[in-house]
Amino acid sequence: MRANPKDVNTGVYYIDGDVASGYGALAAGCKFVAGYPITPSTEAAEAFARIAPKAGAMFIQMEDELGSIAAVVGASWAGVKSMTITSGPGYSLMMETIGFGAMLETPFVLLNIQRGGPSTGVPTKTGQADMMQSRWGSHGDYELIALSPDSPQELFDYTIKAFNLAERYRCPVMIMSDECVGHMTEKVVIPPADEIEIEPRRFYAGPKDKYLPFKPDEDLIPKMAKAGDGYNLYISGLTHDERGYPAENGGCQSVYTKRLVDKIRLNKDKIIELKEEGLEDAEVVVISYGISSRVAVRGIEMAREEGIRVGSLRLVTVWPFPDERIAELAKKVKAFVVPEINYGQIAFEVERCSHGMANVILVPHGGAGVHHPDDIYNAIEYARRLEGRVEGVIEQKTRLERLVFEERIKLSE
Amino acid sequence: MNPFITAFAKGIERSGVDPIKVSVVSDIPFDPGVVNHLHIDFFHTIRGRAIAFGTGLKLGNPALQVVPIIGDLVTLGGNHFVHAGRRNMDLLVICVNNFVYRKIAGELAPSIPPSFSPYSTFEEPFNVPHLANSCGAIYTARWTALHTDELTLSVSEALKKRGFCVIEVLLPGPNYYRRIKEIESDLVNFYYENSVIRDGEDPRNVGITPEGKIVVGKFTDKERPTFIDSYNAQLSSVLGDEFIPYGG
Repeated sequence: MRANPKDVNTGVYYIDGDVASGYGALAAGCKFVAGYPITPSTEAAEAFARIAPKAGAMFIQMEDELGSIAAVVGASWAGVKSMTITSGPGYSLMMETIGFGAMLETPFVLLNIQRGGPSTGVPTKTGQADMMQSRWGSHGDYELIALSPDSPQELFDYTIKAFNLAERYRCPVMIMSDECVGHMTEKVVIPPADEIEIEPRRFYAGPKDKYLPFKPDEDLIPKMAKAGDGYNLYISGLTHDERGYPAENGGCQSVYTKRLVDKIRLNKDKIIELKEEGLEDAEVVVISYGISSRVAVRGIEMAREEGIRVGSLRLVTVWPFPDERIAELAKKVKAFVVPEINYGQIAFEVERCSHGMANVILVPHGGAGVHHPDDIYNAIEYARRLEGRVEGVIEQKTRLERLVFEERIKLSE
Repeated sequence: MNPFITAFAKGIERSGVDPIKVSVVSDIPFDPGVVNHLHIDFFHTIRGRAIAFGTGLKLGNPALQVVPIIGDLVTLGGNHFVHAGRRNMDLLVICVNNFVYRKIAGELAPSIPPSFSPYSTFEEPFNVPHLANSCGAIYTARWTALHTDELTLSVSEALKKRGFCVIEVLLPGPNYYRRIKEIESDLVNFYYENSVIRDGEDPRNVGITPEGKIVVGKFTDKERPTFIDSYNAQLSSVLGDEFIPYGG
């Protein structure tokens, strides 16, 4: 299905990533955004609030993030595509309801413009430390999808993709961007509506009295119905059977949660999107996502100027994780270099998937800024020199850390 | 069937509202058997979020009649209650006041009046109709579960009103669907017998105290533009023809 021209502000823009995401949401057919302002995500909500009323969509500023995400799940059950927008502390507040959304197999999108944490952290500056939270933040077993765009154009494109995935797999989809990409201003091309593919909701169409809201199709995903259509819905956050009725027994719990994880795990190949470059003869591979992949481009160039054979694997989809692809590469390459703006989240996933076949070098960054390309170059260079297999993740210090910790520059300076 | 559910079902019938368009949103246990027979949609959400979820449901489809039934009275989710009132969100909130979370013996809810817990309590209870009225509710009422006719009338009146309506129901025991135990039956009789109907009473005077009678009745019945009314008015005044009215 193609996008509705009313929802698409076709044109060439010079806007930041946040704004691009707001435009992307509307283009994807989102009719309801509930949010609470929080730096550095506010511009996305503002952009949506500005354009939504002209397209029959609504933005509501809720009383808090708990209310925002609950309203988003509610709106989705009323049959409209919905999204919430947040960062850091707001994201933490939303965790319980993300699990509720996953349990009800509710399609919705959450845009997280990450900032430095923990707690209030550095509200106006970047971070990538919510990656594991996006995977494991709510209690219980579930799988969801997380994307990590690295430019304003991608924030537009992948916001649409996030909505499409949410509808296709009936699950919450996280856009795990960061302050740098969110506040980065670049050219964004919004194509005509007939060039934008959108996934409509898969509504049940059989006889009403036969409808089972949680009876999966062959692809493990049930068809949805919405409130007010006479389906006599019973939708509960309790573990439920195919009718939706609470069934608090071991059998139902196993069957249900297994399907919640399997509907993503078994459809992984269709979900995962990676951007690969120069992997054919690489001895070292840089695995990156979000803003870190933009910095990595220069680090990789510098290494190639020195004659190092280095490739790039960018995780556009972070969750589900591309286990098989990394395991396959681990057999062929000497090492992986993982720059990320945290003290090791995705690097440990890479280590898990490389099964001891390749060294894993983490280039951490505390946040409030990004890596210097030298940091990534140095790690690549070190990775190439390193002989033999080293167990675990090897941590490389960044230029900033050397300045702060080794040259004893005062933090206040 | 429990008198509250009966009154609620009769209220829907009496209001003339199409039950298919009624969505009940609760944050407490409910029996699918009971709710299913009412031929309404039912969402059993998480603690405290019924009003916020209901807000999304209503805004997602303004043709729905959304009824959050909240059990953990104005504790978790108190902020949603306050702000739904301020916005005049078109919801009928039914606060089922158990006084105590009876399912977990001795655990107190903030609306508990003194003397309903093993060692008594020192906290002031919430005056729910007063709270709702102060937040901007256009309709507030309180009944015990045995005031079935009055409760039926209140449900039907509130369903027909556009805006934030709050009905407090005094009902012992959290599980409406289970057989009312003898002691609970005694308790609901106790509420009923110790209540006095004062329609139109100033909500400030209807707090539940251990000494006085429990004041029941309809306390607030007024009109105010709903959230969607105000949204449409504001945006069409600013955007003119560019604006597509919401839900209309």
